[in-house]
Amino acid sequence: MATQPLQQTCCQGLLHFWVLMTQRLELPIGLLISQSGSYEAVSRAIHAGAELAIGEINARPQQPVKLIPVTIDPAGSLAGYVEGARVLLRDHGLKHVVGCYTSSSRKEVLPLFEKADALLWYPSHYEGFETSENVVYSGAAPNQHIVPLTRHLLGQFGTRGWMVGSNYVWAWENNRILREAIAASGGAVLGERYFPVGETDLGDVVRQIVADCPDFVFTTLIGQSGFAFLKMLRAAAEAAGIDQPSDMPVASCSLSEAELPLLGDAASGHLSSSVYFSTIKSDENRQFTALWNERFGQMGQASADAESAYVAVHLLARAAECAGSTGFEAVREAVRDLTFDAPQGQVTVDGDNLHCWMRPRIGRSRSDGSFDILVEHPAALRPDPYLTWAHDARDGDSRDLRLIQ
Amino acid sequence: MSRSIQKNFRGLRALLIMAPDGGCQTLERTLHKLGLKITVARALPATEGAPVPFDVIFFDADDGADTTLDESAVADLPLIALIGSEAPSRLARVIQHRAASHILKPVRSSGIFTALLLAVNEQAVRIRHKNEVQALSRRLAGRRFVTKAVMQLITGCGLSEEDAYEWLRREAMQRRIPMEEMARHAIGLGPDPAQDAWPQYGRATRPD
Repeated sequence: MATQPLQQTCCQGLLHFWVLMTQRLELPIGLLISQSGSYEAVSRAIHAGAELAIGEINARPQQPVKLIPVTIDPAGSLAGYVEGARVLLRDHGLKHVVGCYTSSSRKEVLPLFEKADALLWYPSHYEGFETSENVVYSGAAPNQHIVPLTRHLLGQFGTRGWMVGSNYVWAWENNRILREAIAASGGAVLGERYFPVGETDLGDVVRQIVADCPDFVFTTLIGQSGFAFLKMLRAAAEAAGIDQPSDMPVASCSLSEAELPLLGDAASGHLSSSVYFSTIKSDENRQFTALWNERFGQMGQASADAESAYVAVHLLARAAECAGSTGFEAVREAVRDLTFDAPQGQVTVDGDNLHCWMRPRIGRSRSDGSFDILVEHPAALRPDPYLTWAHDARDGDSRDLRLIQ
Repeated sequence: MSRSIQKNFRGLRALLIMAPDGGCQTLERTLHKLGLKITVARALPATEGAPVPFDVIFFDADDGADTTLDESAVADLPLIALIGSEAPSRLARVIQHRAASHILKPVRSSGIFTALLLAVNEQAVRIRHKNEVQALSRRLAGRRFVTKAVMQLITGCGLSEEDAYEWLRREAMQRRIPMEEMARHAIGLGPDPAQDAWPQYGRATRPD
């Protein structure tokens, strides 16, 4: 790998020369991202993040690559994703698509990408246990979200936890990891309940949680269910005279800036494990958030999902630039070990598993729609989708997380 | 009781008995990501009686590579069959080898983790059952000595059947040996096993 920067410089140099002599390399890119449906707040942020990067790249005349986007809205339905992928891959003949949010949608379209020799740029954190050669994963892997959060919760708050989630694999797998860590530390799972995606009738479980008074609540409820739960829990705890944010904090691996404006009075005091928060202090992030606020400020502050899509598009453009081609295999090989100075900091695509090296962080939401960053890993962490190399969450004493506040 | 499953395969030594084609490469790449050490060969290496230096074996069930599998050498290893042809004659080979799980061809990266996890955990259950069967057989073979010893204690020492049995059980426990061995000693077969018998008997499988 030591020769790669040199190779990249050479290929970039040649390409620049070629670009000056001819014209920009046109790279058609599909956007298979829901603009409506139960998780639309997050999904719209993903779309906006991709748009931002496309606009940024296309606006620079010296950029050797020009992106031509084709957008399809699957409206949050699995059938919509399959149909959308068919149209993009077969009718448009695209080789690169940024898209999907839930794992079920990704699993559904994956065979189509394998068949078409095309690359899916998947911009969301997920539960891991997949390494497809047809996917570049720019969101966090489980060793970068649930494992550090588990250590933080058990180390800072106690070992009596309540788990509530939307009834699908994201919730089951994260809860499995947390449950095993709680058991290993001699703690107790006071309760574990699942609800259909979109369910908002959560009064019973909220009453039970307040009565049990756990050390922390871990939620994997997504979309509307998540908003309803956080509001109801806050209200029920207040009614019982409990200071919920400090006495039974709610933690998740998905709460983002895109959702805080929808929580009203209950927006502050929640813990979230993420590789990106809008409050990260860096030049790249200042630039990114300024762009975001100007174009998409009405959607709330910039979020991890938006940034992840932004990173995915930039990685794609750079890989195509380096490969001097928009082809599936040329771009995939070029993206291995590629580094990008992202708003969150330096992001590197792992040459082995096509996930990204990133820094885990834990934030606490504020009433102004952003997060205070409480903890961050001192360096980018190698993605470990199968948790092959991660030490069991139990033997972590948060040595590798740096308390910064 | 539910046992926790093995789900981390870091460091396991995998032997891939198959042609080094595209499917083999996909398999290798994914196993590498899972932290396994991989050897590709066209046959099981000869070890001349020594244990086969692998923890899991993948074999191509289509190309006859499995004919090199020596059943006694791989009896305790999880086998995973790569299956393309679903012809019963081929599948019969998979059954003969007692493959613990399989992967359908063409090999994709998804499905490999599942096949490995199922095979390793299935094999662990099989080995546990095998050990239990062995322990039960051993105890069954020793039953007649127990019966004989109980009879002698009843007739010779005037104990009740319950007391005779209880005495044997207590003596065996004190010596930390199986009851059958204690019974053999009690009826004068073999030396007092108190000193030398332990620890050749595994106690984990004995419920009493």
